[in-house]
Amino acid sequence: MTEAARRDRVFLVVVDNSEEHHVALQYACLRVRKSGGRVALLRVIEPPGQTEWAGVGALMAEEQRDEAEKLLSGLAVQVQDLTGGYPILLIREGDPRDELLALLAEESPISILVLAAGADSGGPGPLISALTGRFASRVRVPITIVPAGITAAELERVT
Amino acid sequence: MQVYLPIAEMSVDALLLLGIGFGVGWLSGLFGVGGGFLMTPLLILTGIPSPIAVASGACQTLGASVSGLMSHWRRGNVDARMGLTLLAGGFIGSALGVQLFALLRRLGQVDLAVAFFYIVVLGSVGALMVRESLGAILNRKRDGQVRLHEHFWMHGLPLKVRYRKSRLYISIIPPMLVGFGIGILSAVMGVGGGFMLVPAMIYLLGMPTAVVIGTSLFQVVFVSANVTLLQSIQTGSVDVVLVVLLLAGGVSGAQFGAAMGAKLRGEETRFLLGLLVLAVAGLLLWGLVQTPSQPFVTEPAP
Repeated sequence: MTEAARRDRVFLVVVDNSEEHHVALQYACLRVRKSGGRVALLRVIEPPGQTEWAGVGALMAEEQRDEAEKLLSGLAVQVQDLTGGYPILLIREGDPRDELLALLAEESPISILVLAAGADSGGPGPLISALTGRFASRVRVPITIVPAGITAAELERVT
Repeated sequence: MQVYLPIAEMSVDALLLLGIGFGVGWLSGLFGVGGGFLMTPLLILTGIPSPIAVASGACQTLGASVSGLMSHWRRGNVDARMGLTLLAGGFIGSALGVQLFALLRRLGQVDLAVAFFYIVVLGSVGALMVRESLGAILNRKRDGQVRLHEHFWMHGLPLKVRYRKSRLYISIIPPMLVGFGIGILSAVMGVGGGFMLVPAMIYLLGMPTAVVIGTSLFQVVFVSANVTLLQSIQTGSVDVVLVVLLLAGGVSGAQFGAAMGAKLRGEETRFLLGLLVLAVAGLLLWGLVQTPSQPFVTEPAP
């Protein structure tokens, strides 16, 4: 791989409320640190839906956005410490799966999607199930699935 | 298809009740409102006696809110401690409200009182909704509402408790008062009260919006359960046949409404809801002031 191509590649990590996304983020950061590229963080916020009062709905959307920004900028500091580069921050509103697919379908710089599998017996998580199952044909980039129980030493070794 | 309602002691077209249930359920799914504040007046307008309409309305609200509470609970959007504080006030309020209701019934003024409550509440809620959506339509670029993060007298009250999920450290008195007020409304009007509870929790108590809907449903479910229980013990006016018919229509209607509501986010629709609420209030007002077709009615003494 040439140096230019390495700088261009972007690892996308989906930041959701699961514990697993930390593993995915760790993996992406280690890959970037060792062989170049950038990290992108995607946070999809749920639209507030219909509420009795428009003001309440507007306030909800605003608070969700604030929270997402705070969360991402916190993680961005971590990413910067690990990789030396500031990540690309993406906030979208809607259904996580649809927004992720839409992002991948666009002319986006994303090169590799990093997902972490769920640790419990309830399957690998909704995103992985959808993207490797019904929606596999709509994914335009390679997907890396990181097992949830992976140890830090193992992560160091495989990246 | 006539069915006999055993408590209301009258025959009503079952399809009409299913239709009302479906329509109100559809609206509540569409707009994300409880729907109780439309259900009870519509029942009164179809000729169901007010006490039955109110008590059965509370029971119907209970049935319609449980699934919402469960889904919010699963997603961790319920502040249980705040919910219990609200509920403590709500139980007292609803118990008193049922006593008030029973008293009004003994005085023979319950129809008037219920209609009056509805005209005042629906009139002001509808007017606020129309005003709010008109403002938003006319001035779309308005900045989001700003929450006042100020300290006022409320924050000096004793008995402070830490509400971790709501990120609040406030006295239990304001939430109890809010719950109390909603409890009274719930008992007298047969509504869940979410349309007043939600703004009160946000603007008065300062709760973060993420947990407001789930926590308000927590209060609504248990207060309407309490109202149902107390009404059926004290006034014996919960008509289960009526409630089952309304719920059967309501559950399917809510599914349709929610599916449509997800695609629809316009101020125009909320404007229409406001107009609808005002129209119901207007109809109730007309019912109060029009000259009755029969000036005198004889009925057996209670």
